[in-house]
Amino acid sequence: MNALTKTPLFDRSAGKRFGKFALYAFLVVFAILQVFPLLWVFDYSIQKTGDLFGPELIKLPLVPVWHNYARAWVDGKILRYFINSSIVVVSSVLISTVVSFCLAYATTRMVWKLRTLAAGFIGLGMVIPIHTTLLPNFIWFNVFGLINTHVGLIIPYIAFTLSFNTLLFAGQLKTLPRSMEESAFLDGARYPKILASVIAPMAAPAIVTVLVMTFLTNWNEFIMANTYLSTDDLRTLPFSIIRFQGQYSSDYAVQFACMTLVALPPLVLYFFFSRWIMSGATAGAVKG
Amino acid sequence: MNRLFGNRTAIAFLVLPGVAIMVFALIVPIGFSFYFSLTDWAGFGAFNPVGAANYKEILTADPVFWRSLVNALILMAVTIFIQNPVAFALAALLAHISQKASQIFRSIFFVPAVLSVVVITKLWVNIFNPTYGILNKLLRLAGLKSLAVSWLSNPHTALGSVIWIIIWQGFGWALLFYYTGLMTVPKEIEEAAVVDGASWPQTYTRIILPYMFPVISSVIVIDVISSLKQMEMIYLSTDGGPGQLTQFIAVYLYQKAFVASQYGYGNALSILFVVVAVGITVLVQRLFRSEGEIQ
Repeated sequence: MNALTKTPLFDRSAGKRFGKFALYAFLVVFAILQVFPLLWVFDYSIQKTGDLFGPELIKLPLVPVWHNYARAWVDGKILRYFINSSIVVVSSVLISTVVSFCLAYATTRMVWKLRTLAAGFIGLGMVIPIHTTLLPNFIWFNVFGLINTHVGLIIPYIAFTLSFNTLLFAGQLKTLPRSMEESAFLDGARYPKILASVIAPMAAPAIVTVLVMTFLTNWNEFIMANTYLSTDDLRTLPFSIIRFQGQYSSDYAVQFACMTLVALPPLVLYFFFSRWIMSGATAGAVKG
Repeated sequence: MNRLFGNRTAIAFLVLPGVAIMVFALIVPIGFSFYFSLTDWAGFGAFNPVGAANYKEILTADPVFWRSLVNALILMAVTIFIQNPVAFALAALLAHISQKASQIFRSIFFVPAVLSVVVITKLWVNIFNPTYGILNKLLRLAGLKSLAVSWLSNPHTALGSVIWIIIWQGFGWALLFYYTGLMTVPKEIEEAAVVDGASWPQTYTRIILPYMFPVISSVIVIDVISSLKQMEMIYLSTDGGPGQLTQFIAVYLYQKAFVASQYGYGNALSILFVVVAVGITVLVQRLFRSEGEIQ
């Protein structure tokens, strides 16, 4: 073999390798486009505000200013809002998961006259926009003293996640054989027990997906929290960012630190549960 | 086993809590909304019934309402004809590289989708900032100083910029849907086409796209609904401005009720919004169902 055939310039494998390189380069460009804004904000969150106004395109944080985070933590009331978000989100997620599991069970596995009608009704929650309930709920919830309370936020957070969660559970429950319940029933088990110890374990993957998806949806929710909560100390995490706009409108570095802190919890959750999030996200579109 | 699967007490216990919550937080409010839409209430003080006057004004004398629907249509068009094809192409590429690499890329592309709209919107508001935003710094560096405008308040660029933010966040979703859809295409179909001598464009247009029709139509239905429902990103970036150019119906009804003190009018917008949302969803679903049957 001579040297020439060893390093051909235009043979198929070189062309293939170039194609592969181009393909990866293309994907990397898109990947950068999707995460660059986050990196940019993080970059300037550990510098002085003045650095943002410098002439250079991007200034690297050679001397990190972590102090911005201390100020964001205190003045952004991160801890207070984090606790509030946790209260509202954890309770709404747990209730929504249990209730939608029950709805999915009754509409896929049990036999009753109004079943189709009920399933259609539950589906309404995906069609009716949240925003159309903002104005009337402001009055209607006030009748029960629910405006400006966490309960007043938990209830719509449950209501608006029921439809999607029921659909997701229904997809999984449909696939289970009916003999599951029958044998448990013949063993003398009653409904609560059948659901909790026979059906739920078999639907475990769907349960994890529903928990994580509902958590993200409610954790990131802004407009209902913005509308129903007026007392500063009751507000949820996204408000840290809003707070800074008014009070520290020119202190961008602290604002950026605050944005990074608010972005962190969903990112951490996503890091651990991305598989569940991705399988759940597509359940509606691909199966439905 | 009728006693088991037809147990009425069990059914009632399973169904009633969920239905009750939905009636309380979704159905009754819409009833209230309809009631207030027939009044001239400001949100405080006394009010009078005005019949269908609010509806009449919206439909015949309110250009902002129509503008907000047109904006939703523009967003739909950009999503369906630009974002979706790009996402589909990228999903197809990801389907042809190693599982491991594809998994890493998919995870990165989906990052914006898990973040709060407040974070996303404020990220871009800062990037679009005319003084310190990196976009204008880049343009000035490239000698395109005339293009370095105030993106979110310039009438020529505001709508485009807002749409960009929405499309950017939605990209991960579109990609994920199409990737999952492509994974359901049986390998044998694709291989058989290649064996029969089909080129890859032929394989895609004749074999894979038709097979993916149900997924594509589901994604389009989702895009149509979500384009209509856009609110938070606009509210937090342009708030409908400049001069109502980036107005969307959900932002508009919010401003009418809580800023302009036209609570009755805002509720009429709200009811029309429900009608439009439900109407378009049914229409689009019908459309795809009948077309699916032809296929």
